Amino acid sequence: MRVSMKWLQELTDVSVTVPELVDRLDMTGTAVEAVHTLGEGLEGVVVGQVVSKEAHPEADKLWVTKVDVGDGEPLQIVCGAQNFEAGDKVPVALVGTTLPGGLTIKKAKLRGVESFGMNCSAAELGAGSDHQGLQILPQDAPVGMAYAEYAGSSDTVLELEITPNRPDCLSMSGVAREVAAVLGTTYELPGGAPAEAGEPADALAMVEIEDATLCPRYTARLIRGVRIGPSPDWLAERVTAAGARSINNVVDITNFVMFEMGQPLHAFDASTLATTDGRAHIIVRTAREGEKLTTLDGMERPLASDTLLICDPDGPVALAGVMGGEHTEVSEKTVDILLESAAFHPASVSRTSRSLSLISEASTRFERGVDPNGCVAAADRAAQLMADLCDGTVAPGVIDVYPTPVEPVRLTLRLATIAKVLGVEIAPDEAAGILERLGMTVENAAAVLEVSVPTYRPDITREIDLVEEVLRVWGMERVASTLPGGRQRIGGLDSSQRWRERIGAAMRACGLNETMTYAFGDAADIERLGMEFAPGEALVELLDPMSTEQSVLRRTLLPGLLRSVSYNQRRGVRDIHLYEMGTAFVTGEGRKMPKERKMLCGVLAGRWYPAAWHDAEGAGRHGANGSSDALRGPEINFFDGKGVIEALVVEVGASRFKVRDADIAWLQPGRRAEVLLGGDVVGWLGEVHPRVLGAFDADPSVVAFELAVDALVRAATPVRPYVDVPRYPAVEFDVALVVEEAVTVERVLDAVRSAGGKLLDDVRLFDVYRGTGVAEGRKSLAFALTYRAPDRTLTDEEVRPQHERLLRKVASAVGAELRGAE
Amino acid sequence: MGIIEQLHQMKGQALERISAAQDLSGLDATRVEFLGKKGSLTSILRGLGSLPADERPMVGKVSNEVRVELESAIDTRREELRTMELEAKVASDAVDVTLPGRVRMPGREHLIERITREVVEIFVGLGYRVAEGPEVELAYYNFTALNTPEAHPARSASDTFYVRDLSSAEVSATGESDVLLRTHTSPAQVRVMEAQKPPIYIVVPGKVYRPDAPDPSHLPQFTQVEGLVVDEGITFADLKGTLEHFCHEMFGYDRKTRIRPHFFPFTEPSAEVDVSCGICAGAGCRFCGNTGWLEILGCGMVDPNVFGYAGVDTERYTGFAFGMGVERIAALKYGLPDLRMLVEGDMRFLRQF
Ligand SMILES: [Zn+2]
Repeated sequence: MRVSMKWLQELTDVSVTVPELVDRLDMTGTAVEAVHTLGEGLEGVVVGQVVSKEAHPEADKLWVTKVDVGDGEPLQIVCGAQNFEAGDKVPVALVGTTLPGGLTIKKAKLRGVESFGMNCSAAELGAGSDHQGLQILPQDAPVGMAYAEYAGSSDTVLELEITPNRPDCLSMSGVAREVAAVLGTTYELPGGAPAEAGEPADALAMVEIEDATLCPRYTARLIRGVRIGPSPDWLAERVTAAGARSINNVVDITNFVMFEMGQPLHAFDASTLATTDGRAHIIVRTAREGEKLTTLDGMERPLASDTLLICDPDGPVALAGVMGGEHTEVSEKTVDILLESAAFHPASVSRTSRSLSLISEASTRFERGVDPNGCVAAADRAAQLMADLCDGTVAPGVIDVYPTPVEPVRLTLRLATIAKVLGVEIAPDEAAGILERLGMTVENAAAVLEVSVPTYRPDITREIDLVEEVLRVWGMERVASTLPGGRQRIGGLDSSQRWRERIGAAMRACGLNETMTYAFGDAADIERLGMEFAPGEALVELLDPMSTEQSVLRRTLLPGLLRSVSYNQRRGVRDIHLYEMGTAFVTGEGRKMPKERKMLCGVLAGRWYPAAWHDAEGAGRHGANGSSDALRGPEINFFDGKGVIEALVVEVGASRFKVRDADIAWLQPGRRAEVLLGGDVVGWLGEVHPRVLGAFDADPSVVAFELAVDALVRAATPVRPYVDVPRYPAVEFDVALVVEEAVTVERVLDAVRSAGGKLLDDVRLFDVYRGTGVAEGRKSLAFALTYRAPDRTLTDEEVRPQHERLLRKVASAVGAELRGAE
Repeated sequence: MGIIEQLHQMKGQALERISAAQDLSGLDATRVEFLGKKGSLTSILRGLGSLPADERPMVGKVSNEVRVELESAIDTRREELRTMELEAKVASDAVDVTLPGRVRMPGREHLIERITREVVEIFVGLGYRVAEGPEVELAYYNFTALNTPEAHPARSASDTFYVRDLSSAEVSATGESDVLLRTHTSPAQVRVMEAQKPPIYIVVPGKVYRPDAPDPSHLPQFTQVEGLVVDEGITFADLKGTLEHFCHEMFGYDRKTRIRPHFFPFTEPSAEVDVSCGICAGAGCRFCGNTGWLEILGCGMVDPNVFGYAGVDTERYTGFAFGMGVERIAALKYGLPDLRMLVEGDMRFLRQF
């Protein structure tokens, strides 16, 4: 809502400076989004007269003009506007001027023709939103005069954000009332019945409403014998300041009254309306099958069946509340006006304007709600102006169809409620004064106020709404801050939330960086992975997605993270360590809402860290400063992912961690596994299949894992019981066992542990060897075995027989040979 | 030459050699050469037998003195050499201390998660618990129970993502749905009020969704933290004090705050809270659109209609609610130029925070 300060001053006494007013409005709920100072930045703009207009030799849409700016020789100016003729007076920005939009005018050559200035549109001067053409000034504008001086445009315009609950503030009158209320001053609104003469209105026209829900009130006035012409300056200035374009006196009056009183009006050329019994006949109804209307903008529009229309007996003449029809539009030939002042159902107007993408000042106001009780005053005001400014004669009477008048709401406001909700005491007469300044009637200003709410405040229907009105005008800043008492409250995270924090911390301790990807996905991601659904399972499908890449909800976090891998790799970042904890979604037939599962997904690629000076030192591989790549640590593989999960298992204290080979389509066979905790599968781990990486434009190799967070939390051990720290030294033996390739380390370890006896404290695999000395198809596994007794120092002699017995048992259990046992 | 002269001569040679020894093994070799079983001293004393008996005690005394003197010289030199060797070793071990340390850097928390955690911690410190709700919601919880009118534009498909309702084949086929991606974390308010009797002091962090094409200041998926308090005697003054405390903790005690009326369907009275601009300290600059203030959150007293839907006794209880956008706080506090960086997973971005 654009508010001209000049205009506002005519309606109420603004006794404070503009910055003070802005602050008061901000602090009482009417946010000021911008303050425009008209005339500022227009120092180099003068009134000019186009002396000649010739086609540009090189460009179809450009004109070469000579413009007299009252300074001797006319200026040559190249101009792209189409709405002017030689002889027109226009604003001209001289070379060196910086316009309000920041554009600085320079001497320029446009397609080979020199240009010494710019002819301006209203928008370029910050005086409206009209970019379409030059601002054509009245013929009496003195050439050479400073434009700001001529236009008297040293005005300030506030751009107000009007919240949806305040339709009344979409008018100058409403803003004036609000400003007066917050400043504690008074306001005066224009009004009064027009002088009437001639045949009564109801002898000239009739109105019929088919559905009063969609159109609670329709009033019409007839103004005859008008002369269409340009508006007087004051009127053009007002509608321009409010953001519209001055068109002609009649249209400008309807816009002016809309801006002034908040009631959109529409002027029909009465002679174009079809009649019944000699009277112009307005019918308000919804569209019929196949109906069309050519609107003011020349577009022929097919009409959906729920579109509310203004019709005459021949068919539609306007989209109710949205836009008029071309055929019944006021033109320079118009003599008689049928002026519509009506209230339409907000949702109906909203549907129509949105479905046709026609959003106008009128539709915006109807959408928010127009007070049916304001229709007649607005029609009277406009009729009077048409009489005054267009030489019209107002036909006696208002045609008014208003089946169910809206009555003011009566409410009680208890002062005790104010204290209870706000925590402050406000005196009864202070509260009553605020409500009265806002236009309400208050009786009995005591502990309980009886309040009558005017119908232009449809947002106030309950006691609490009055509490808000009192608070915002009284001043939120005056409320002394406190904190809630809350004797019974206990704060904190629950156990699952705490575990999730620890899981994230464990990931970061392992070197993984937390990331966040879209919950949206592509339905084709599932095929790219080769993931299968259980019977009846389905992806969650968006009904109106923004793109196919974001048309479903993710079932797994992996595709998003693979995209991040690709994103990094395409930018030359090879070492990637990412994890995300987020929601995965799956639904199924018969389900209204999907299952949501919190997942922990990680991806690793490249190496853990870039080549560092100490890598070579540790590895004894000084390369005479050769390539840094040659010095980098090993490429990340399956076991880096597994290591991260092992660290996580230790962090949460889960028991019975196990992995086992499984047919997981998106992972590379032989380098993939299910992850089990306590016997349950909680996720998967492996190197992503090169085929899948290709589909996501990622380079091999990428290790990934995904675990169900709830399962991890269930497996977590909050308290791990104390175990004695060893007090006596251990005896260690290393042993190398040669086994068939097919024998897993897990099997050998199980055999060692079960054969170990009481003294075996620990067994650790420290090498896997294939090659010289080990037969083809076999591998040598080297273990360090630690024997320890809790109560004494063991000797080699005591342990050796046990150790040898263990080796024999293991050898026979897994078919192992001993290699260089010690 | 008499034996005594020989001893003195040998002593002179030995002392020269001892002081010339450059390392411990050389010194040891010198000791063996002069004092060992087959060393010079022994071989000189071998001639003792040919001496008259009365001279022998004198020779014995001198040889003993020589031995003691040489051993002492060797010990002294050994200490010197040890010290030298240690110093040499220390000197050779010196490193360029400006070389980078040897570490495997831990990973970093995502900026949004980190700010979310900071917000949650501030409210946990005030005695709040953390509630969560589903990301796919029913229109009832997302709109209706939050007092949003049936025809409200926020419900339209241009402002809300609806998902296919599979509860029955007929419903699924129509494409009509009242199942949606929550557009704010507020539906969790209603779920908590339904499930739990007051007192309620909760914050609800979580992801929310709106159909905004991604650009530097919009993402179709973003993060909110919602708060709800329902108890006896809760007032607007409590709301104001709580949010002032939050803003000071989050942005610093040097920042000013202000609360101004606004409109939300689910609170009455409703307000927004601003923090003074950290760049111009309230004087007005480009960053704050010349207002000197940055809008941080929306809030208000829970609307009685919302209590009605959730079944809370409005005569006994009052409450307040607030909500804030974490991405907005990230942009304001860390100067992010483009929110899309938050969902790209660029390692170079993620490792900054
Ligand atoms: Zn600033």
